[in-house]
Amino acid sequence: MKGKLTRAWAAAVVAAASVAVAACGGGGGGGGGAVTAANFQSQLTKKPITLTFQWFEWPPAEALKKLGALYSKTRPNVTVKVQTVPIANWHDAIFTQFAARKTNFDIPILDSQYIGEAVTDGAVYDMTDFVKKDVDRSAYYPYFFAAYGQYPQSQTGELDPNAHYYGVPFDGDTWVMIYRKDLIPTPPKTWPEMIQAAQKCQQDNPGMSGLAFHTSGASDAAAETFNTVDWIYGGELWNPQAKKIEGVLNSPQGKQAMDVIANQMTPLLPKGAGNWFIDEVNAAINQGKVCIGFNWIGGTAGVMDPKASTLGKTPAEIEQKLGFAALPTYKTNAVPLGGMGMHISKYIDAAHTAEALNFMKWFQQPSVQTEWAKLGGVPGRKDVLNSPAFLDATPYNTVFQQSVSRVKDFWNLPQYTKLVNIESTNVNAAITGTEKPLDALNKMASDQQAVLDGTQ
Amino acid sequence: MTDTLQTPTSQAPESRKLVTPPAAARYRFLTDKWLGRGFIAPAMALILLLSIFPLVWALYLSFTNYSATADVGSKWVGFNNYKDILTSGSTWTHAQLTVMFGVGAVVLETVLGFALAFLISRRRRGRGALTTIFLVPMMLSPVVVGLFWRFMLDVQFGVIDSFLHSLGLGQPQWLTQKNLALVSLIMVDTWQWTPFIMLIALAGLTAVPKYLYEAAEIDRASEWFKFRRITLPLVWPLLLVAILFRAIEAFRLFDLVYILTGGGPGGTSETLSYDVYKKAFYGFETGKASAYGILMVIVVTIATQFYLRYLNKIKER
Repeated sequence: MKGKLTRAWAAAVVAAASVAVAACGGGGGGGGGAVTAANFQSQLTKKPITLTFQWFEWPPAEALKKLGALYSKTRPNVTVKVQTVPIANWHDAIFTQFAARKTNFDIPILDSQYIGEAVTDGAVYDMTDFVKKDVDRSAYYPYFFAAYGQYPQSQTGELDPNAHYYGVPFDGDTWVMIYRKDLIPTPPKTWPEMIQAAQKCQQDNPGMSGLAFHTSGASDAAAETFNTVDWIYGGELWNPQAKKIEGVLNSPQGKQAMDVIANQMTPLLPKGAGNWFIDEVNAAINQGKVCIGFNWIGGTAGVMDPKASTLGKTPAEIEQKLGFAALPTYKTNAVPLGGMGMHISKYIDAAHTAEALNFMKWFQQPSVQTEWAKLGGVPGRKDVLNSPAFLDATPYNTVFQQSVSRVKDFWNLPQYTKLVNIESTNVNAAITGTEKPLDALNKMASDQQAVLDGTQ
Repeated sequence: MTDTLQTPTSQAPESRKLVTPPAAARYRFLTDKWLGRGFIAPAMALILLLSIFPLVWALYLSFTNYSATADVGSKWVGFNNYKDILTSGSTWTHAQLTVMFGVGAVVLETVLGFALAFLISRRRRGRGALTTIFLVPMMLSPVVVGLFWRFMLDVQFGVIDSFLHSLGLGQPQWLTQKNLALVSLIMVDTWQWTPFIMLIALAGLTAVPKYLYEAAEIDRASEWFKFRRITLPLVWPLLLVAILFRAIEAFRLFDLVYILTGGGPGGTSETLSYDVYKKAFYGFETGKASAYGILMVIVVTIATQFYLRYLNKIKER
């Protein structure tokens, strides 16, 4: 009887294991490999199809839904769907599906720094032929394509003729300085002047704080704050040729930048602002708590919303109190490059791949990018960026146009997520006083070097 | 009618062997044993698929350098992953933090939960309604709890600091100050899971036989004596089981950390589970994350064995 029982259980285990292996195995690439730049239009389906984007929840994602409706007018059988997650889950929502070799989205909108990981994992479609055939690259500022589409990333700001293309520019972004122009009549031109203006404003207006900026240890929040100040003070994040971070990141310029952040800028933050990101900075500006704020242009629509703002009952009233300017300069005039490109998942079928390529080809038209600008997006084409349709769409779009020649990105290496987590965590530690600024910077440099060397 | 004063007979009553009626011809193959196996087979299949197989698979992956997203195959690396984790300073920092959180949260939940259960058990009216109200936090999703507590504890926009400030008690930085972040985690976890301890303690308290209290009252025992010599010893084994469950949950805390503090400030509230998440999803070091998870399972299993021995000793007394 015992023997029979053991055999029965063994049979159950084998059956369970077989089912599990069958469930876990398989999947993998769809029919996307059969679609090429030469034949994708002939592979467009006439049957109803849903083209799905994956992004995070913020105003441009809402604008994309409206843009998708415009595309559907040209392709009535196509429904455009935009799936969003909170920004903290953006990377995981996409890459866990890449890990499963099966995605419920067709076009992931990837942060420029995610490209390295996506490409080395073989998760995104190589669009080199499509870009060369169907995209007028001369219509774009070269850094957009280099940052949003190419891998390996060109460090010169120019396109690398040898690198492949894995995406096309979709939504540009950079930091904007949002200041209370009723309290600070002239936007400061240099970073030290900005700090002084914020200090004076804080002293002259009890109850208000001088500054609001990204401090959270999540995502790239605090990391971008450090990048910005570091570059403005003449520092660098790494030496890409020598693959060196230690000694470069914590150079004298890097130390000065960390000192400025921890000892000059942080005291001007409102109390408890050690975990702030896009929404919190907007809320502080809306509630009249700060004199100067720094935020991504893509998230700035929130400060012009009368329902959320105490500064005015209409956007015009709010605009009387809020000014928007490009970042102050100092030793350099660098500004952080944000924004994203559109990519195609390799784990979808031929029909969806063809539709995704068709959407991207449709998006290249100036008229479409103009509509995108009117909806609140930041297009990549030079002609649209410099057109009144874009410049007049919001009071802060001129900031992007002025900043385009100054943008600078950080590494889009496959190890990006680990590197940026180390950076954000340590900069957050310096801001919150958990770690001494210099110790945090040195730890950041040594941990990042270990990741780059593959020893961590 | 039988007279109960009659002397019983010396002969034993006649016994009749019970015979199971024969099964219908079409069900003869369905013996009791096969029926039993059939009924537990779905549950066993679920356990195998959802618990045993993933554990065995994770154990296998922990000896490889497998990455879930990499486009290359994995290699056998032996105990390298385990060595890397056990020799890393950050692992011990996270372990220390997790133990501090676990002890703080579980002690607070036990004291508060038992106190609430004791008070409720002494009520005659409204006991059901009170119990239901107290159970509400436990029914909420940890993500929802983390999110609204995050809003409430915000210094600038939150209701807690606004209230404290109006009383002249300052504005503690609950989520952005080093040691306060851990206190916030303990506070929120206690708010949500004290009802669990309360529920189990209440079950134990209502099961204490009333005649013991009556006997004690006859002997003019004080309230403290009754509590110390009757209530606590009888409820203690059940409380220990509740403490065990909560301790295991506290050890593997992730969702509250993810939502409430994000591991901050400066990584000072990152528990072991949060570190496993980072290993698994920042860079997708699946092999290393599996090793980390297996180590946590081993620690919990060993600790639970010692705990259960102590529990059995108490029950034997």
